[in-house]
Amino acid sequence: MLALQTIADGLVLGGLYALSAVGFSLIFGVMGVVNLSHGALVMVGAYLAWFFWHALGLDPLVTIPVVMLCLGAFGYVYQRGLIQLAVDRSSHVASMLVTFGVALMLRNTLVLVFSPDLRSITPSYSGHPLLLGGIVIDPVRLAALGASLVLLGALALILNRSRMGRVIRATAQQELAARLCGVNAHHVYGLTFAVAAAFAGAAGAILGIVLPFSPPDEGLWTMNAFVVVTLGGVGSPQGALLGGLLLGVMATGTSQLIGPAFPNAMMFAVLVAMLLIRPSGLLGNAFAGSR
Amino acid sequence: MLVAAVRRRAWWILLGVVLFAAAAFLPFVTTPFYVRVGQLVLLSSALGLAWTLLGGFAGYWSFGNSAFIGLGAFAAGIFEVELMKGQPWLGFALGLLLGAAISGLAASVVAWPILRLRGIYFAVAMLGISQVLAELNNNIDIFKGSMGLVLPRLSAFGLRPEALYFYLLLIATILITILAFAIQHSRIGAGLMAIREDEDTARMLGVPTERYKVTMFIASAALTGALGVIYAHSLGYITTSSVYRTEFSLNMIVYNLLGGIGTLIGPFLGSAIMVILTQVVLGRLLSIHMFVTGALLVLLVLVAPKGITGLVRALRQRWSAR
Amino acid sequence: MSEPILRLDHVTKRFRGLVATNDVSFEVPEGSICSLIGPNGAGKSTIFNLVTGYLPVSEGSIHFQGRRIEGTPTTDLARAGIARCFQIAKPFPELSVHDNVRIGALFGRDGARDIGAVTRDAMALAGLTERAQTPASELTVGYLRRLELARAIAARPILLLADEPCAGLNATETEDVIDILRDVRARGVTVLLVEHDMQAVMRVSDRIFVIDAGRKIAEGPPEAVANDPHVIAAYLGTDEE
Ligand SMILES: Nc1ncnc2c1ncn2[C@@H]1O[C@H](COP(=O)(O)OP(=O)(O)OP(=O)(O)O)[C@@H](O)[C@H]1O
Ligand SMILES: [Mg+2]
Repeated sequence: MLALQTIADGLVLGGLYALSAVGFSLIFGVMGVVNLSHGALVMVGAYLAWFFWHALGLDPLVTIPVVMLCLGAFGYVYQRGLIQLAVDRSSHVASMLVTFGVALMLRNTLVLVFSPDLRSITPSYSGHPLLLGGIVIDPVRLAALGASLVLLGALALILNRSRMGRVIRATAQQELAARLCGVNAHHVYGLTFAVAAAFAGAAGAILGIVLPFSPPDEGLWTMNAFVVVTLGGVGSPQGALLGGLLLGVMATGTSQLIGPAFPNAMMFAVLVAMLLIRPSGLLGNAFAGSR
Repeated sequence: MLVAAVRRRAWWILLGVVLFAAAAFLPFVTTPFYVRVGQLVLLSSALGLAWTLLGGFAGYWSFGNSAFIGLGAFAAGIFEVELMKGQPWLGFALGLLLGAAISGLAASVVAWPILRLRGIYFAVAMLGISQVLAELNNNIDIFKGSMGLVLPRLSAFGLRPEALYFYLLLIATILITILAFAIQHSRIGAGLMAIREDEDTARMLGVPTERYKVTMFIASAALTGALGVIYAHSLGYITTSSVYRTEFSLNMIVYNLLGGIGTLIGPFLGSAIMVILTQVVLGRLLSIHMFVTGALLVLLVLVAPKGITGLVRALRQRWSAR
Repeated sequence: MSEPILRLDHVTKRFRGLVATNDVSFEVPEGSICSLIGPNGAGKSTIFNLVTGYLPVSEGSIHFQGRRIEGTPTTDLARAGIARCFQIAKPFPELSVHDNVRIGALFGRDGARDIGAVTRDAMALAGLTERAQTPASELTVGYLRRLELARAIAARPILLLADEPCAGLNATETEDVIDILRDVRARGVTVLLVEHDMQAVMRVSDRIFVIDAGRKIAEGPPEAVANDPHVIAAYLGTDEE
């Protein structure tokens, strides 16, 4: 029963990990940029949702579209205005430093605007646990998992079915060829970044109802994204889902079996081990394959 | 080879000697605050130099060198506190060796697998390793990472503590500079440069790439570990979060980038500018400290991707082309 | 006849399903210039990759100076005296011509005393002396080819593997490269050449091996190979560039 409970908790957390990492994965897969400000975008989403809830009393699940829109617009401008410049002027490793600089700026801004204190969002339906065959399930967490899965599914549909998705995938595989076919690669990169940032924001909004948060958490969410991508592979919602769920179950499992202090150590150990043993991810299309 | 290099750079070396000698007078002419700023410049320069042995010379950018600061600091700290009560200087000397040895050993354990990774993968793997070590240090009780360690106090010649550590760091920096110069201008330095430019071609030309990379990784880790020991003593009291700081890892890169990666003056220029800017100029603006650092980082990559030395070189070329 | 410098015995290389080198055997005598020719994708560069230890062989054996060398790391082979010029020039872009060549001299085969002299000599042989201080990233294709050669020569090799050193060069430049190769041979270095320029190959080679689809289909002195009906059918007939 304890094992089942652990797995159930792990899955809820995992859905969130998956959603928070999918944008990171997309950006790396499509343009080879490691976005160290990804976690900061997640936090911005969380604070936006918190603001709507706190000031206007709106439920985070309702405001997700607005949050996504805001972050999507920001993402597009961020890529066209900054990242692309950095990639053109120096290298991918240097562009990583630019994203790190932006992460610092965002974190600092959040502290200034919202204070460094811990915040949490408590929607009306929280605090009424459901009992399902001996497993305690918090409706908030169930809603979080549901929302995460729906959003991931939607992204998969966009990437596989829509014209924009096809163009993004084509550019990821062959920038030059796509350009020759009349695709404006920079615009596509901007769009990719917009999509990625929007989903980071959505993850933030959902995160807000599940866990308390504060600005410095951004570093942790970036690292989470890294681990999810090394586990599941780069560039696809399916990979992110697999990686996220695995990470979630591993994290709750570790804190159950070894001690509540160790999930982070375990997570980083898995990251390093995966890089060394199978840099292409479990599904075999991660880092090594993508560049 | 080395002799020729020394002769070719005689003026630079002279300048270095003069500057180091001038620095030795700093504690006599300024306030303790500026001596501490000087300490930080020296520490950052020395850490930057240690980083550049692998990162600048061979192009393997470690994003996790703070792990070696932490390993060195805690190895020496535990050793000195547990076994060297009442003999602070002997304890410090042995602790310095131990800190370097433990860091070097840790590096040699992971060196072989991790140096097969290139570019971003190596960078991220190092970041991961440093996080694992920090978490373990913090959560396993015998390491006293979360509780903290109070290190034995050192004193000599009636110097104030900040002056004492200033001198210790000055000596360490001078030694590391000499070592880095010797490496840069020897055969291994040329080999590392070839690795940075194109590792496969280097191998085809007979550069023992694996051996060189591993050697430099261990050297870089051991030196960083030794610096961690000095740093720990200068703090007096250490916890996981005061020595295993990701910020350190990133600063090493930023200072090198700002000064000019792969050069020896780079880390000095970068540290001096950034430390003075953040500590002295922005010292009172703590609330936007991080924002400004981030903005500087962004500007730096966009405006001078090859650092100050690169900028100077480009300007000089343009000048002579006219 | 004395021991050949390089001997391949029934060497096969598979990439998953593709057999890039199929049961190839040949010998390169000491002091000769031998050429490997064949249509695009025949497997010539792959043979170079096998000889330099850059890729492991699937089957067969390779002897260098009578010593088996499959499985020996690339670095060690370079130090034993096998140097290579790449088909796509791979200079160290940020370094000057001089520093590029110097790295060849510093490493490569053991035993050089005066690195400076070896470097200058190799640059002179390849006609690069005036460009010594130019960054490699600013060289034209012709000079990049020379740089590849100079760097390999500075390593004082016993065997030089040159992969299409004349690719992308005009007639005079090709002539220069051929002269450089002859000079290299005159110093006692054995040369194995891959080249598409038939005229150049015919003039410079002592012996030619013809590869098609991974197999060796003919071998012999230039005249014999040129008149071999197999070769005409498989190679010259189909590859009219
Ligand atoms: N590392 C590799 N992995 C998989 N296939 C390879 C690899 N290297 C070469 N090949 C394949 O082996 C075959 C032979 O290639 P190779 O480069 O040796 O040809 P080549 O004779 O040098 O041609 P060219 O004249 O165009 O240089 C080709 O079909 C190529 O696609
Ligand atoms: Mg070829």
